[in-house]
Formats: sequence, C-alpha cells, structure tokens
Amino acid sequence: MGRATIKKKIHDTFLRRALKNFAAAYPVARAKAFEGIDFEGLRGRISDTKKAGLKELPELVSRFKSRAEQAGATVHVCATPEDANRTILGIIREKGADFLIKSKAMTSEEIELNPYLEKKGIRCLETDLGEWIIQLAGERPSHMVMPAIHKNKEEVAELFSRATGHECPPDIPSLVWTAREALRSGFLTGQVGLSGANAAMADTGTLAIITNEGNGRLVTTLPRTHIALVGVEKIVPSLTEALDVISVLPKNATGQKITSYVSFIKGPTGEGRELHIVLLDNGRLKLAADPDFSEALKCVKCGACANVCPIYEIVGGHVFGHIYVGGIGLVLTPFFHGFDKAEDILKLCIGCKKCNEVCAAKIDIEGLIVDLRDRIRKPVGQKFLFGTMMKNRRLFHATLRTLYLAQKPFQSAGGRIRHLPLILDSETKFRTLPPIAEKPFRDIVAERPGTGDQGPGTRKSNSKLKTQNSKLEKVLFYTGCLADFVYPDMCRDAKESLEKLGYEVIFPQEQTCCGIPARYSGEMAVAKDMARINTDVLLAEEANYVATICPTCTMSLKHDFQKLLEGDEAFREKARKLADKVFNFSELAARKIGNEGQWPEIGSMAVRDVVTYHDACHLKRGCGVHEEPRKVLRELAGVEIREMADCDKCCGFGGSYSIKYPEISQEVLKNKLENIKASGAQTVAVDCPGCKLQTEGGLEAAGSSVKVEHSATLVARRLRQTK
Amino acid sequence: MIDAFQRSAEAVGATIKRFISVTEGVSYIRDLAAGAPISASFLPQEIREAFTETSFAHPDDAADARLCVSFAKAGIAATGSLLLELADPRERGATALPLLHAVFVKGSTIVADLYALHEIIACELNSPKSAYLSLTTGPSRTADIERVLTIGVHGPKELHVLVLEGV
Repeated sequence: MGRATIKKKIHDTFLRRALKNFAAAYPVARAKAFEGIDFEGLRGRISDTKKAGLKELPELVSRFKSRAEQAGATVHVCATPEDANRTILGIIREKGADFLIKSKAMTSEEIELNPYLEKKGIRCLETDLGEWIIQLAGERPSHMVMPAIHKNKEEVAELFSRATGHECPPDIPSLVWTAREALRSGFLTGQVGLSGANAAMADTGTLAIITNEGNGRLVTTLPRTHIALVGVEKIVPSLTEALDVISVLPKNATGQKITSYVSFIKGPTGEGRELHIVLLDNGRLKLAADPDFSEALKCVKCGACANVCPIYEIVGGHVFGHIYVGGIGLVLTPFFHGFDKAEDILKLCIGCKKCNEVCAAKIDIEGLIVDLRDRIRKPVGQKFLFGTMMKNRRLFHATLRTLYLAQKPFQSAGGRIRHLPLILDSETKFRTLPPIAEKPFRDIVAERPGTGDQGPGTRKSNSKLKTQNSKLEKVLFYTGCLADFVYPDMCRDAKESLEKLGYEVIFPQEQTCCGIPARYSGEMAVAKDMARINTDVLLAEEANYVATICPTCTMSLKHDFQKLLEGDEAFREKARKLADKVFNFSELAARKIGNEGQWPEIGSMAVRDVVTYHDACHLKRGCGVHEEPRKVLRELAGVEIREMADCDKCCGFGGSYSIKYPEISQEVLKNKLENIKASGAQTVAVDCPGCKLQTEGGLEAAGSSVKVEHSATLVARRLRQTK
Repeated sequence: MIDAFQRSAEAVGATIKRFISVTEGVSYIRDLAAGAPISASFLPQEIREAFTETSFAHPDDAADARLCVSFAKAGIAATGSLLLELADPRERGATALPLLHAVFVKGSTIVADLYALHEIIACELNSPKSAYLSLTTGPSRTADIERVLTIGVHGPKELHVLVLEGV
C-alpha cells in the first residue's frame, strides 16, 4: 500500500470523523439489536453449518441447481468472472435489452460487471443509494454494507446535481428524495434486473435477499427478467440455516434487529417471466477444499469485521481492502483477485483480533491473515533477521546488548529516547521510547547465585531452599524479550509478587523469543523452530506452571505453538503439555486471592488509588482473560478501577507494526490516549509490556503526567507495603 | 403478543392501529388516502368486501397510486415484521411503489420471533408453485449518506399496520 494513499486517508477529515462516529455508534446499536439473543450460540450454529456445507460444496451446488431449475429458474454455474460477465451479457442480449437496473451485489463488484457491460453497450444503473453514489463518482465501495460511507453530503449533492442537471442542496432528506425521483423512471423502464442474494437454499432452490431501501424488491419485480448473481458459498442446505443468516446479518451489519425487507424468491413469478441464477465460483470451490483457508468462505458478508477494526477506523476501506474490505476482505482478496492484489493489504492488520470477537460465522479472521503472510513475498533482509539471528538465541541477545550501547547518543535526561536521527524521527516522535536496559533481567537473575533462579544447566542447587520450597507450586517464569531487555524491573516485580503469593519461581536461562515477530512477518518455518526450542526449554524442568507477563507470549505459548506444531509428530504432544501449564501473571496471582487472612489490610482498605485498566488485545481476545486482571488489581494491588471507554480496543502497538506503520499506529494511540484522559485516572494499569511501551511513550510525548504500570508492579508495590 | 409487536414495529417507525372490526380499518385507510388512488395486493374476501365504495387502481397503474392496501399472513412480535405472500408481480409492485402502505394483520397470527415463522415459510417454499414472500418491517429506509437514517427511499415512506384484534 502506497504511503501517500495511507497518509491521504489519515488526513481526510471527513472520512476520519465519519468512521470514528460510526465506530462509537456501532457497538451500542449492535448490543441493542442482540438483546435477549444468544450471539455465541447463533454464530456457533452458523459456523457449524457453513463448515459442513463447505465440505460438500460441489454437492450443495448441484442440489441447489436442480431444485432451482425444478422451480423454473435457469441456473448458470460460472467458473470465472469472465464466464459470469459473458453469461449475464448473453441473457441481456437475448432479451433484446440494453438497460440493466441493479440492486446491491458485492459479487457484481467482484467481477467488475458494470465496466464490462458498459463496454458492450449495455447501460447499468445502480439503484441502492450508496451504490448509485459511488457509481456516479466512479469509485468502488469502501464498506460492504455502507458503500459510500466515505462520501459527505456536499460531495453527494455535487454528484446528484451533475446527474440530474439541476442544483441539489446538501440536505440529506432532500438528497434521498432526489434519488427516489431520479431512479424511479429507471425502475419503470429497466428491462432486466440484477440482484445478489444473502442465502440460497439447496432443498427448495430459494433465494433470500435482505435489503432496507426497497430497491431490491423493485429490481426483482418490475423487469420481466431477473438475474441473481450469487457466490456459491451462499448456498445453505435449507430454510433452517437461512433463517440463522437472516437473523444475524442485520444485527451484526448495522445494528438493526432485521432489515426493512427480507424477500424469499423461488422460481420466476408471473406469466412469461424469467429468473436466471448465476452461481459464481471464481476460486471458491478450490478455496472450499483448501485445508488451511476454507474457513474464510463461512463469511456472510455482514461487514462487522470492518466495523470494529481500529485500522479500518483510521484509513477506511479504500486502503484496508481491495474489492472486499475489512478483515475478511484481506483474507478473500488473494483467493478472488490474486496474491499480487493482496500483498500490501495483508500487512495492514495490526493483529488485535477485534474482528474475531464479532464475526457472525466465528471465523479466525486474524489468524487467517497472519497465515496468509507466509504465502506472500517477504522484504529483503527479513530472511537474515529471522532465519539467522532470531533462531540463534546467543546472537539475538548479543545484538540486543549491543543496541544498549548504540542508543546512548539518543537518550535524554531520565534515559528515555525522545528523538531518533533523520528520517526516523518524524515518523516516531509521537511517542518517546524506553531505552534497552543496561542489564537485562536474565543477567540480574544470573548474578544472584543460590536463589535457584538460573534454570536447568547453570543452576547451582541450594538444598536448604529446596526443602523449604518443596511444598510450593513451582512456576517457570517466561518473561518475553521486551520485558527482559527493556523492563527488567517489571520482571522483578512479577517474580517477587508470585513468590510472596506463595509460588516458587524459576527463570530458565535458555528461553528465547516466542516466535511471534517471525510468525506475524510470515516466516512460518522460523516460528515453528522457535516453538520447538521454547517447548523443550520449558518442559525440561518439572514445574506446575509457566508464568508469562507478556500476553503475546502467553497466547503464543498457549495457543499458537499447538497450532504450529500440529503436524510435527515429535512435538504435537509436547506442545499440548506445555499449553496446559501456561498462564498469564494475573491468572496465577488471582488463584491466591482468598487465601484468607494473608493480606487482610488490602481487602479492607478505605482509601484506594484510582487506576484505569487497558485490556491487551492478546490477553482478552488471544487468551480470553479479562476478569482476573481486574480482580487482582482490586484485591491484591488494592486499587479502585475506573473503566475507560473502549478499554479493550488496541493501543496501536502491534509489535513491529508501530515501526512499519507509525502513521497509523499513532492515530490508533491517539484514540486510546483520549479515552485514558477522559477516565480521569492518574495511572493506567496494563498486563502487557508492549501496551506499556506504546501508551507510556504516547503520554510522555504529549506531556501528560499519567503513569502506565504493569499489574505485577502495582501488586508488588502493595505487597511490599503490607508485608 | 400484540403489545410486543406494537412496541417493536413502532420502534422502527411503523404506525400501529388496533381495530376490532374491519370496517374501522377501512375508514382509517380512506382517511389516509384522502381521495387519492388506492391499489391493493391480495386481500381476503371479508376485507375486500368491506371496501364497498372503493374501486382499487388497475394493477398496471400501481405506480400512480398513493396508497396500497395489503394483508399479511403473519406478524413477528420481536421485530414488528409482517409476512406478505406476493407471488403475483403486479401485487408486489403495488406494495413497493406507492408512498403509503397499509397492511392488515390478524392479531392471532402474530408469533414470537422469526424462527416461529419457519413452518409457514417452509410450507410456501415446499409447494410446487413459484413463490415470492416479503417480510416487511417498518417503512423503507436508508443511512447511505453520512449514516443519517432517512425514511422512505425507494419503497413506502409510511407503513401503517392495522391489527385486527379478536381474530
């Protein structure tokens, strides 16, 4: 993606405001629409039926075809966009027609039907208001459900004035009325109507179409020939499954309980009428059989993944997607339009998993995006960085130590890095950076002999301590690189807290990077190697738990390793065994709450510091942990939590993302800082060193006095006071 | 059930009127039309007969009617929706083109939610005939310009639901 395009969108004030307002309004409307409905149950059913359907997609296609034909429709199965375009042109020409009226169909955008037909002398008229606007503007949709969300009323008024030949004021109700009047003659004179469909039922050959404006009903009613252009993945076995799609789609798309119109169409209705159903393959049948990526086809095209995406909110659909936009657009683009169209956009995902949380078909959208990066071209130098350096722990850690010296000239009073040289500076000055520590945590641990901290291999046994600790549950401490090398104090606080809470804590020296940076950069082979190395290191020593203080590492160790090593006979079982032991700091700390009488003064404290809590993406959505941290803060750190708006929305860090796309990262951060400020709290509690780095740096650069602390630090501080 | 239906339908901008007799509903519709042409889609005999002094517009002139009268097979309380059977394209056009749409529905046919309509819809779709069912909820709407909700784009701007209670 061109930097210039990204910057242009970031500086498009109207677009930014529109998307921001929508991002704020959508969750409220959505929650209301789902009131009293078991969303998890509903999307679980959709996921299951879609998954089962994809396994037998060719059979579903032929069953649908034969039933629809029994009902009197003509069904054309088209393998490619060219096939589909040619077929549609053939139907129109056979009717002697030269004017097509259309209701909304993303499939028509997908095959670029309008330009094709216009070249052949067929006039096309989009009648969905949003689609008409972008047709007049000569653009493509920037959202699957709200195609013209990027256009303001002034731009619309200008387009309508040009189209109608009379001055249209930028007043929304009057613009809508203009569209009604201007398009009415189109409806009455259109010879052929084209629609999409939201579900196709194999048992009866019925189509279901969901619309709001009423244009869909006119397009499928007034012209004597109706063409429905439908992706084959829309076929479901029967009405039962279709009702689930109809139920979830409007709620998830726009926060409506149901749209104004849902039409069920079976066969051509009325004397001399024709219904042509063009079933579009365009890579779908192949994708349905793909063991790794077929999941993407469960999509019902509600657009919710874009609605909640913090990156979409900043840059919009013309950057974040190709023809299909939002998270799922990134996934579908390589399969529908080719990997060359997908290379740039696949890198734009920050990995916050917000889309996964709302997906109507329970697709692991973020996981698919990351996996697809393995299939695209990698930047020069990346192979050395990951393949050679990261896999060699000693080399990697030696490099980090060297960086400690290299950063010296850029450190200002207090040690933080406020300015970087030349070009880097303008891109990164939105936040100050903490320096790499003089002594990483691993060295501090190694210098304290006799504490049993050095892990297997280097460990000197201390029999006295061993006996004393024999009854304690044993925890292997996996710090993660960022905490180890940048925040050694955070590591110390975590270790000290866990010890005071009654665990024996050991730091295995051989631990190394969890492999996430490699995986997110598409270096799957390296990620697998890192998984193997760490699995062995963390299983070498018998222990009850593995504790982490970085949610990304937690997620990696607990979930990704299993996935990465699934095909590895020698490691599959080991990865599972490790996963069972891995917990985030707050989960282990929370287990010790209720050891009655241990810290009575915390529970009964009258005066408490007020903190606001920022949920790390990978802790909340990556590991499903969001209650324990709050419990730990209240009951062990003794603070009062004042929740901020969007507490679980990404801070914009995303590891190397904030270096690759600083212009986007800082805009995401701005939203977070606004919410922190509005909470009024003077401390932000986090459970992630990355979130700390980002928000702390942003707050400091903005001159704020608000502090950001890891939960472990807040707990350690309180336990030091009370014990 | 009717109360819940009324709440849901009003929440999406429909006007709900509850009547004991068909004739009350008919006079309400006459007032709405204010003398302008009225078109109609399928009406059960007892309702059609109640429009004694009304001559409906010819099906081909539906585009010129100000108001269309319809009859719903069922309603949904959770969403305030109406199920219309509209296999005849002329009847469909009649419900889609005018500015006002008035729909009779019997109180006893209102069900709890979409899923409770499964049997009725499946029955239509399983018959050998072609089918076109329209689930209609509130007036036509759009939010395509600056996400501002605007009522009445291509379909009716007003939806009046005439609930016949006691039947």
